[in-house]
Amino acid sequence: MGPIELLHMSVFSQSFSPCGKYLAAGNNYGEIALFSLSAALGPDANELSQKPILTFAAHEGPVFALLSTDSHLLSAGNGEISAWSWAELIKKNVKAAWTRRPNYKSSLEIPEINAMAINPADNSLAVGGGDNNVHIMDLENGVFKSVLRGHTDYIHCLSVRERAAELLSGGEDGAVRIWDTRTSQCVHCVEVYKYETCARPQYGKWISCLTTDSDWMLCGGGPSLSLWHLRSMSPTSIFPLSGCQRQATFYQDVILTVGEGQCVSHCLMGGEVKAQIPCTPHSINSLAINTNSTEHRVVTVGGSSDHIDVFTNLSYRAFSLRF
Amino acid sequence: MSSEALKKRKGKVLRADGGTPEVKRGRGDGDQQDARVYTEELELEGRDPEQDYNQYKQTCDSLATLMGEIQELKAGGAKEGSTDVEHRRLQSCIHFMNLKKLNRLAHMRLKKGRDQTHEAKQKVDVLHLQLQNLLYEVMHLQKEISKCLEFKSKHEEIDLVSETEFYEEAPEEISRPLLTKEDPHQLTLARLDWELEQRKRLAEKYSESQTTKEKIQKSIEVKKEHLSSLQPGLNAIMQASLPVQQYLSMPFEQTQKQTEVARHLPPALYVLFVQAKAYGQACDKNLSVSISGDVDEAKALSKPPEDSQDDESDSDAEEEQEKTKRRRPTTGCQLDDKRREMLRRHPLSLCLDLKCKDGSVLHLYFYYLINLNIMTVKTKVSTCTDLSTAISAGELLNSETLLNCLYSNDQGQETPNPANRYQFDKVGIVTFADYVSELGHPYVWVQDLGGLHFPGDAPEGVRVGSALSASHMEATMKLLRGRLQSRLALHKQFTSLEHSIVPVSSESQHLFPAKVISRLARWTTIGHQDYMDLTFTRHATNVGLVKEADLFFMAVVERGTARLQAAVVLNPRYPEVSPLFSLSLNWKGEHSGCTDDNLRAMESEVNVFKSELQGPHPGHQLLTNQLARLCVCLDVYLETDGEDNSVEGPREFPREKMCLRTVRGPNRLKPFKYNHPQGFFSHR
Repeated sequence: MGPIELLHMSVFSQSFSPCGKYLAAGNNYGEIALFSLSAALGPDANELSQKPILTFAAHEGPVFALLSTDSHLLSAGNGEISAWSWAELIKKNVKAAWTRRPNYKSSLEIPEINAMAINPADNSLAVGGGDNNVHIMDLENGVFKSVLRGHTDYIHCLSVRERAAELLSGGEDGAVRIWDTRTSQCVHCVEVYKYETCARPQYGKWISCLTTDSDWMLCGGGPSLSLWHLRSMSPTSIFPLSGCQRQATFYQDVILTVGEGQCVSHCLMGGEVKAQIPCTPHSINSLAINTNSTEHRVVTVGGSSDHIDVFTNLSYRAFSLRF
Repeated sequence: MSSEALKKRKGKVLRADGGTPEVKRGRGDGDQQDARVYTEELELEGRDPEQDYNQYKQTCDSLATLMGEIQELKAGGAKEGSTDVEHRRLQSCIHFMNLKKLNRLAHMRLKKGRDQTHEAKQKVDVLHLQLQNLLYEVMHLQKEISKCLEFKSKHEEIDLVSETEFYEEAPEEISRPLLTKEDPHQLTLARLDWELEQRKRLAEKYSESQTTKEKIQKSIEVKKEHLSSLQPGLNAIMQASLPVQQYLSMPFEQTQKQTEVARHLPPALYVLFVQAKAYGQACDKNLSVSISGDVDEAKALSKPPEDSQDDESDSDAEEEQEKTKRRRPTTGCQLDDKRREMLRRHPLSLCLDLKCKDGSVLHLYFYYLINLNIMTVKTKVSTCTDLSTAISAGELLNSETLLNCLYSNDQGQETPNPANRYQFDKVGIVTFADYVSELGHPYVWVQDLGGLHFPGDAPEGVRVGSALSASHMEATMKLLRGRLQSRLALHKQFTSLEHSIVPVSSESQHLFPAKVISRLARWTTIGHQDYMDLTFTRHATNVGLVKEADLFFMAVVERGTARLQAAVVLNPRYPEVSPLFSLSLNWKGEHSGCTDDNLRAMESEVNVFKSELQGPHPGHQLLTNQLARLCVCLDVYLETDGEDNSVEGPREFPREKMCLRTVRGPNRLKPFKYNHPQGFFSHR
């Protein structure tokens, strides 16, 4: 990988290993790199420990989504999902455990996969992407058992509400659809851009980030990032952030959100922006929190750069991992 | 002394007698006095001090008792002048007299003791002095003895034959064994005699050899004369053979002349000369080598080193004289001279002409700096066709930068010889770069071609001399030719770029759609500092992809109200190292490749996926194809923007390009990739 390729690299997705000691990151060249957090955070960390311990070509197109199960790393490339055993990857054996393709209709262009989510209730994987549909795959046997149709443009993000047995999806068409996972029916459709408090027509209407926590939902994108109460289906707080947000997450009592702009924003539930912590990439695609291991509890941020910023403390960037 | 003492004593005695002393003294001056004198001294000798002491005690005791009695009596009421008292008083007086005498005696005794001590002391002093004298003498004698012992005779330095050898070889009359066996002194003398004898013989032999040598030399000279008398005849034959050579097209004479001149080349240039010639004969007919410069001066330089040494010493002496005679010239002037001397070129230089197929020629002039032991090169390009002058192309064929970075990071500004640093320090040269325009560039590959090797930072297989030169010859010649061709190609392209035409050759036609509306509006050259000052090039400069030796250009692509600026870094090694584009779009606000994901994608479309744009080998069309793609990408960017249907009225840029999808992926990129036969745009 030459310096020019590094200059134009973007990191799209991240996932921590089940043991919490490793971080996998996918970039726009279809590569997945494995970083050792225990080495980078160790007392004798040096330049070299911030480089990946393993880099391998996983897919043809960019790796937009990564997800870890108890034993496997799932990666999504151009229209295909591959599973890699974590145990084998740590031993630097690169061989996909399996690769599956959802049943796509269009032929000219293979639709990309933008989001994946696991529903632990029935051990299934929801996959959303370029063909406007959510495909549900049974992880037991690898069969695509159902397709959720309804979005009119491609799907950006997915979120599972386990307690209510619901799946949420947000798309380019500006709608957040709530699906009943048992019946595969759309139970609700919220068109966020139609709410005057959220809408930002100068940007557009797409929903690019979506996350849920009990009765609350965070969504944003073209419209402002907003906190919704799901039982009343109404926005409760709007966050005054410029730029489009690409990922938001609840963390302890704050909301961490990233997107266009060179910072990680800390927001309070009430709608105030508490802090904006500067980081390396000019626009950020992915934010990940390592909850799998208490000693390597870090927040990592990747975007339009070959650097992945690591925050050991939420209030400042500690160092960067580099491709 | 004694007489005085006597008088005194006498006086005292008289006084003791009582009465008025003056009268008595006057009387005592008479003759009889001597007779009457009783010498207390004699008495003194006869008395024992111990006895005196006892007597003194007794006297004191009886005095005390008498006094006590008198007191008793007086207390008892005795009258003044009563007999008892008077009697006792008399007795006391006698005792007092006695005491006085004893006192006198004690004094005399003390005096005598003192005198004796003094005498004895003087005696001791005299003896001590004598002892010191003697010791000094002893020391002096010892010194003399050691001096004698340490004396070295000259003969000890002479290496003599060993004793046994001496007895074996020396004749009887010299060795005289009877005498010398016993006496080592005689033995040494004899051995010295023998040495002298031997040396005399050797001196004789030496003079004999000298005469034979002279004889032989004379005979050699005679023979030499004979040989040189042959030369004119040979020359005549050569002259006569010239037409034959020409007729048979065998340029023996010319090559011979060249080799003759080449003999005076410094070693580095000679290596290059031989290797370049060999390479030209074997592999490359379009390479020609010639030598230019003042041969006589070179001959003078290559004279035997003895002369030059003499010269140096002479000039040193002269300098000394000058210094003393007249005022020294100013130090600045001296330094200038020294610098000039240090940077002196060898009078001969080598000229390599590389011809290309299209008739253009790259002239390379190689020089050797005598005192720095490095080689430098100057370049010139001559083309068969007159190149129309494109302003932005000015730098392309500039002889200063033409060969920059032929190998990566070889800018030819600093001297590759580490030793030069110290030489420069002496004469106050800050950097060689100041002299590059005058002396030529000391590229590393030039040193390699000359077989000069300087240890660098990275150790590698070390070869020197011809092997080093030969190992670099082919690669370097190819690079040189490639560099010239790429620069000529760029020169041509720049001419049309300046007329806002992006030339796309037929081989590259399929890379772009038929209809491209965005147009190149401007193509200008900019400076390094201008480039660094641009905000949208920050990401490229931060990672160290931009060097000062690069060439910098600014392209402006326009469509309607949109204006795309592209700052281009052209590495001297183009097309091997591809140009780097940084973009800034002025349309609905200012966007740059740093901040806007879509512009970043456009940058990577030209910078990263350049292999599709290379065109036919060796990729001279890369730059123009990159520019053409940039125009296409701008079209796509503008036509797919503003998806928002809520805005009323006609769009500024109607959708003409066929796209499967306008946005894709989490960061909503536009489809910049053109698929050739179908003619639609898709995502990477």
